[in-house]
Amino acid sequence: MALHTTFETIQTADLLALAEKKRDEGYRFVQMLCVNTEQGIDALYAFMKDDRLENYTICGIDTAVETVPSVTGFFLAAFPFENEAHDLFGLNVTDIAIDFAGNFYKVAMDKPMTVISPAQKAAREKAAKIAAAKAAKAAGKDKPADDIEAKLAGMDPEKAAKVRAAMEAKAAKEKAAAESAKRDELEAKLAGMDPEKAAKVRAAMEAKAARVAAEKKGGE
Amino acid sequence: MGKATVIPFGPQHPVLPEPLHLDLVVEDERVIEAIPQIGFIHRGLEKLVETRDIHQFIYVAERICGICSFGHSLGYAETVEDLMGVEVPKRAEYIRVILHELSRMHSHLLWMGLAADAFGFESLFMHCWRLRERVLDIFEATTGGRVILSAVCIGGVNRDIDDVMMKAIIDKIDSIESEYKEITDTFLKDSSVKSRLVGVGHISKEEAEALCMVGPFARASNVAYDARMLGRGGYGDLEGFEPILSDEGDCYARCKVRALEVNQSIAIIKELAAKMPHDGIGEKSKLTPPAGSQAASVLEQPRGECYYYARGNGSKNLDRMRMRTPTSQNLAGMVKALEGCDLADVPMVILTIDPCISCSER
Repeated sequence: MALHTTFETIQTADLLALAEKKRDEGYRFVQMLCVNTEQGIDALYAFMKDDRLENYTICGIDTAVETVPSVTGFFLAAFPFENEAHDLFGLNVTDIAIDFAGNFYKVAMDKPMTVISPAQKAAREKAAKIAAAKAAKAAGKDKPADDIEAKLAGMDPEKAAKVRAAMEAKAAKEKAAAESAKRDELEAKLAGMDPEKAAKVRAAMEAKAARVAAEKKGGE
Repeated sequence: MGKATVIPFGPQHPVLPEPLHLDLVVEDERVIEAIPQIGFIHRGLEKLVETRDIHQFIYVAERICGICSFGHSLGYAETVEDLMGVEVPKRAEYIRVILHELSRMHSHLLWMGLAADAFGFESLFMHCWRLRERVLDIFEATTGGRVILSAVCIGGVNRDIDDVMMKAIIDKIDSIESEYKEITDTFLKDSSVKSRLVGVGHISKEEAEALCMVGPFARASNVAYDARMLGRGGYGDLEGFEPILSDEGDCYARCKVRALEVNQSIAIIKELAAKMPHDGIGEKSKLTPPAGSQAASVLEQPRGECYYYARGNGSKNLDRMRMRTPTSQNLAGMVKALEGCDLADVPMVILTIDPCISCSER
């Protein structure tokens, strides 16, 4: 038998009914964990029976105003996790069977796992930027090309050929301008460098250009 | 009935290798309630996942605990592989299982030594640890490390075990097996050991299931669950796998289950070594966990089932990594086992649960 893992989202109000149902069906409480997200705290409860590992998540809990009921009435084994969620994430869990009232872990600061480290913030921003750039690129590639091709298909063929040639010339001109700007930028950088190092960089670039040219010639 | 008194037990205590505190409510010499307290060595290792990328975190994962170190790196790697849909070659899976079973052997031998020391059988303790050293020698010969192996990577293993080395491992295991039999006989048949363990800290099957206990602690109460039954990786290619069970539910049964599991590990290693495939050991995956992806898996560590959870954010770092260790899951069972026992038996009951506080407090 192989492990079958499932993930589902639930509401806080449904938690106790779910825990009772799982106990009655013979499931085992596996664990509870929290995840700190921008929307709040996600609390994930896992239950297991035979080869089924079921994970239920309450998303975006605002710990300043919301509380979560304890499942220790059904599964006593949950008490370390609920106390941990309180001490590390500030999750307010009510009616824990063995409640340490914030003294389960001796931590140096309050709710340490809710601190968003600079590294995590940077990683999230970078991932969001990459995703946005990818989406924009995909949209930019597909939509206008489709529109233009549709328009050209409905045109007089001779006129369409002229439009195509003009578009290609424009693209080549833009490419040449971009390359020229890049060269100027590089020259400006080299001018600001140590002359010896700049000479080395120039020599390396020239060697690379010669190699590329030779490869092209060989290919032809 | 005597007057109830609260006796503090730990966090520093000769029988505890790691800090665990218990408030024992006793009447005369009988424990009527035990309230556990951990949290003295919380290190925030799960938080480190934000600053270490998915490959670097393997080295953090295996430093969670000095005994389950290989298991944690394996559980972490398997979960991240699930997250990214990475396939691992069969040979790498077999090597992982072999190293994991060797870890189980050394963990159980270490525990048996500690147990023997706790019930005052000093020479038995030394014999257990002498054999454990030989398992560590195998680790040193194959991976270069005795405790921290750094053998797993996301996508496979870092080092192969060639046929010559595999034969040497099997020869060494054969020699361990013959000597181990004498130790097992002493543990399971000696009257002085039995008088210290039989009937102490009893937990019934119903109680074990209700308290969601895992590992040898649960199997000693006849709960037929071992995560290796799920057949992940090399375990799926075994001829058959049945968990070692006992129905006594006391300290002696927990000792028996662990003792027999060492023999089971030896059989698994031999079987997989005999049918080792030659399809490569895999290489470090170049993929990145997709944003919003999540995966969960379980692994049978020497002390019991460990749950791993990972959530990706589209970068090379994870948003969250969680390891739920068997000791956290067994705390409720430990409290139950302590209720009604004699004060003098408290160290023995705690030890037979084999608590790992470093694992619990990551």
